[in-house]
Amino acid sequence: MIRNKHILLAFRLIVGGVFIWAGILKIIDPLGFAQSVANYRIFPSALSFFLALVMPWMEVVCGAFLVFGIFRRASSFLFSGLLGAFLVLVAVTILRGIDVDCGCFGSLSLKVDYKLILTDSVLLFFSLNVFFYRR
Amino acid sequence: MKPKRLFYQVVFILAFSTILGVVANFPLIEKYFKGEYRYSFLSLEKYSSITFITLAEAEELFARREALFIDSRSKEYFRTSHIMEAKNIPFETHKERKDLNVPSFPLEGTLVVYCDGSECQSSVELAKRLHEMDFKDIRVFFGGWAEWIRQGLPVSSENDKK
Repeated sequence: MIRNKHILLAFRLIVGGVFIWAGILKIIDPLGFAQSVANYRIFPSALSFFLALVMPWMEVVCGAFLVFGIFRRASSFLFSGLLGAFLVLVAVTILRGIDVDCGCFGSLSLKVDYKLILTDSVLLFFSLNVFFYRR
Repeated sequence: MKPKRLFYQVVFILAFSTILGVVANFPLIEKYFKGEYRYSFLSLEKYSSITFITLAEAEELFARREALFIDSRSKEYFRTSHIMEAKNIPFETHKERKDLNVPSFPLEGTLVVYCDGSECQSSVELAKRLHEMDFKDIRVFFGGWAEWIRQGLPVSSENDKK
């Protein structure tokens, strides 16, 4: 685990920043994101809808907290959980052979493929480092 | 940090985000409970040329022979079997492309798009693209292929034509 304060600050800014950006892109187009969630064909329609309305706000709120260092451990804990869940979702989607956009960045979304697994893993690594750091 | 404190903070963040999400999207939630977005999360105001139709309506359009049926499933599935006289635009392989190879058809004509059945969304995605191409009457047959064959309605396959 990384202990250097400056590197950890960079991790916080990167993870927080990416999620704020991703969240805002989804908040602008909630129906588009709901459709993206539905395209994964994993959640029932009502749950897809609820997730699409709430999750982007959570990303922005948590991202802002992480950037400003408020509730640092709780936000990095939530992001780690979220990124872990994304990784499972992406892996399952690839294995099921469903060809979808990830929906991660609204209309700028990437395709669900191995590159996305790499991106999520790096962010998860950053986020876990922030979570496990104790002053 | 004590686990209890972490737990409270996590609950706080989740509750706060849920409140923000619900308040910001209240009009959408109202529409949802009124029955909109039952088939798909599509803004019917934005995509005014798209409507969703049932099997009975699809059957009627088929019988009148005025509509062009478009199958958005993959080539392999289409080749095996499809709604009689349907054209194939395998959406998942075409979505990156600007030109969709839509067979020449008047923009005012009725298009019926379908895919596997209620779980698939490629017909909806294709309908959106057709809307952007200025087609005026796009009907999404959401029950799709699954409902069509369950009812034993006319199909054909590429093998028939050989």
